[in-house]
Amino acid sequence: MAKISFPYMGESVVAYKKIGHMLGHEVIEPPKPTQKTVDLGVKHAPEFACFPLKVLLGTYLEEIALGADLLMSSGGHGPCRAGYYGEMHRKILRSLGYEGHLIIFDAPRDHLRDFYQDLKRIKANNSWIYCYHVLKLVYRAIKIMDELEQKVSRLRAYEVKTGSVNRAWEQIQELVNQAFTLPQLEAAQKEGHNLLDSLEMIPVKEERKLRIGIIGEIYVVMENSTNMMMEQKLGELGCEVRRSQYLSDWIDFNLLPHWISHPHEAEIQKMGTKYFDIGIGGHARENMGWIDQFSNWGYDGIVHLLPFGCLPELMSQSIIPQVSKDLNLPIISFALDEQSGLANNLTRLEAFVDLIKAQKFGVKQHILQQKAAG
Amino acid sequence: MNIGIPQALLYYYYYPLWQPFLEQLGAKTIVSKPTDQDIIHQGSRVSVPEICVPIKVFNGHVNELLNKGVDYIFAPRMVQVEKGLTFCPKFLGLPDMLDYTFPAHKNQMLAPQIKGTNEWSVSSQDLQKEPFFAAFDKSRLEAAWQIGVKAWNRFREICRRGYLIPEALDLYQKPDLPKVKNQQGEIKIGLIGYVYDIYDKLVGMEICQRLQEMGADLSTFEMLQDKDIDRQIDPMKKSLFWTFSNKVFGAGLHFYQQPEIDGIIHVTAFGCGPDSLSGKMMELDAEKYGKPFMTVRVDEHSGESHLQTRIEAFTDMLKRRKRLRLIELGVRS
Repeated sequence: MAKISFPYMGESVVAYKKIGHMLGHEVIEPPKPTQKTVDLGVKHAPEFACFPLKVLLGTYLEEIALGADLLMSSGGHGPCRAGYYGEMHRKILRSLGYEGHLIIFDAPRDHLRDFYQDLKRIKANNSWIYCYHVLKLVYRAIKIMDELEQKVSRLRAYEVKTGSVNRAWEQIQELVNQAFTLPQLEAAQKEGHNLLDSLEMIPVKEERKLRIGIIGEIYVVMENSTNMMMEQKLGELGCEVRRSQYLSDWIDFNLLPHWISHPHEAEIQKMGTKYFDIGIGGHARENMGWIDQFSNWGYDGIVHLLPFGCLPELMSQSIIPQVSKDLNLPIISFALDEQSGLANNLTRLEAFVDLIKAQKFGVKQHILQQKAAG
Repeated sequence: MNIGIPQALLYYYYYPLWQPFLEQLGAKTIVSKPTDQDIIHQGSRVSVPEICVPIKVFNGHVNELLNKGVDYIFAPRMVQVEKGLTFCPKFLGLPDMLDYTFPAHKNQMLAPQIKGTNEWSVSSQDLQKEPFFAAFDKSRLEAAWQIGVKAWNRFREICRRGYLIPEALDLYQKPDLPKVKNQQGEIKIGLIGYVYDIYDKLVGMEICQRLQEMGADLSTFEMLQDKDIDRQIDPMKKSLFWTFSNKVFGAGLHFYQQPEIDGIIHVTAFGCGPDSLSGKMMELDAEKYGKPFMTVRVDEHSGESHLQTRIEAFTDMLKRRKRLRLIELGVRS
């Protein structure tokens, strides 16, 4: 059995880990990206490659150091650079002396035989029926995680005890990790909800609530170690948060037939065609659709995250100022990479939230409220 | 009726096609002035700060043309001219960007979608989606396009005979095709990079003339036969996704294998996405082929003296290498 590992991207770790365990592989748990990961990636990656490529490369190298011999990730076919990560990583790993470690799952129609070979390496000696059950279970686990995470991002704004929601979220992840059957999963789901409901919350009137949407490139949106813990920070500033990207949405839209999954994403994409006539790669068009969606839902502001130099997101960033004006919706963009300064970006974020509060509640009241808070 | 063609991005490659096409439809084409500081300033003012310099330059040219009072701007949405490949996301979203960058001039942007398996198979249906072109019937549009393609093929043939694009743009309307260019420089350099970086007067800082003055012959991707490039790209399990990136990368690999090429210079814009990958691959391969490879990264802040120093050092090194090799072979003492 291979020692398998995979990229670290938010909750997807839970999914990959479960697949690995249930198919009988030894799973090398991917380390959450740290400064060390980033440094390692930056050292070997092309200087102007986008940030996720560097973080992933760093992660792979750390995993190899931990003993992993089978790394798996997904491919793509452009026009965004992310589809080429696999080839690039393979070439760089080869130049560092690691051959044959990386398996990239491209669309089966590209190289059917390779796809099948790779699949067999992962499937090992398990029957196809068992694999199907594993995938079904993992899909359910992801759905549950997403549901709970959305609740977590809402509740964080009102916690009485700082950090209590984050601690509960960690417990929930562990609960889902330990669940290997459907009844266990459902029990974990119930316990998760109970856990969150039992936390002490500040009562806030509906009209005093602030809601912020996060849109942008999928990796930096989903992996909070690369986006300065944006969701947590906004929560601390008293904002409810919803991301544009959740893993289950991605699966519904990209992997399942739409007549089964009825993805919300398809609707979002339609809304995005108002801004981009055709798909220009990445999630640029969906993100523009999400701006409309958040605006329709009455959100108070949007945080737009992109890796520095991201091709599709730079195009959306080009049209965002005008859209923000048209919709009368505050939008702030953060370009992230190994050079981003935390203090600078947090100051911008705080100012952004302050301005939204001042606009929503009136400047005078906002100042009084701040004084009262000390 | 005046249609402005910005002298930026793919102007350098497709102008001979676009110009007769638009003139056939009864329009008068106006090309913006060559890029200068003023244009870059205009472009930087309306663009996202971190976007690559060719896009800023393009925005500058559009602004310039609008100030001049043209009726329309021709800025096609380049989607596909080769099977299975596409253009960089910035080209795909270019017309949308223009709409939101110059909201008052939304109706003046002529942005037909160019999508086909080659340059001559553009569908008139796609063209007609643009109201301006919908006024013409299909056969007229197609005939006009084919006249453009004919002129463009002449232009490409001149390029393949060893002429740089500015020279080819001067020559393609002459009645006779020029002979294959006679080059007798001391060394030969493979100069790879996008046409809008290398041939833009300000962005590329006239790197071609500089190298030629130092006694170097140049070979570029547009001088190669398509099959030379395909031969490099086809064996790759997964090629790059972008038409021009593949051309440039394929040309680079081809130059690595050509004994008469002494070294390769890669000109790329700061923040260019496709080049960040292909550049690294060229770099990793340089060792394998033992051929000198240099990257010149340009943007609106780059200085000429920096370029001059670097290419001087590079050409000096190539000349010395060549001399030593010739002595080793006994051809020279």
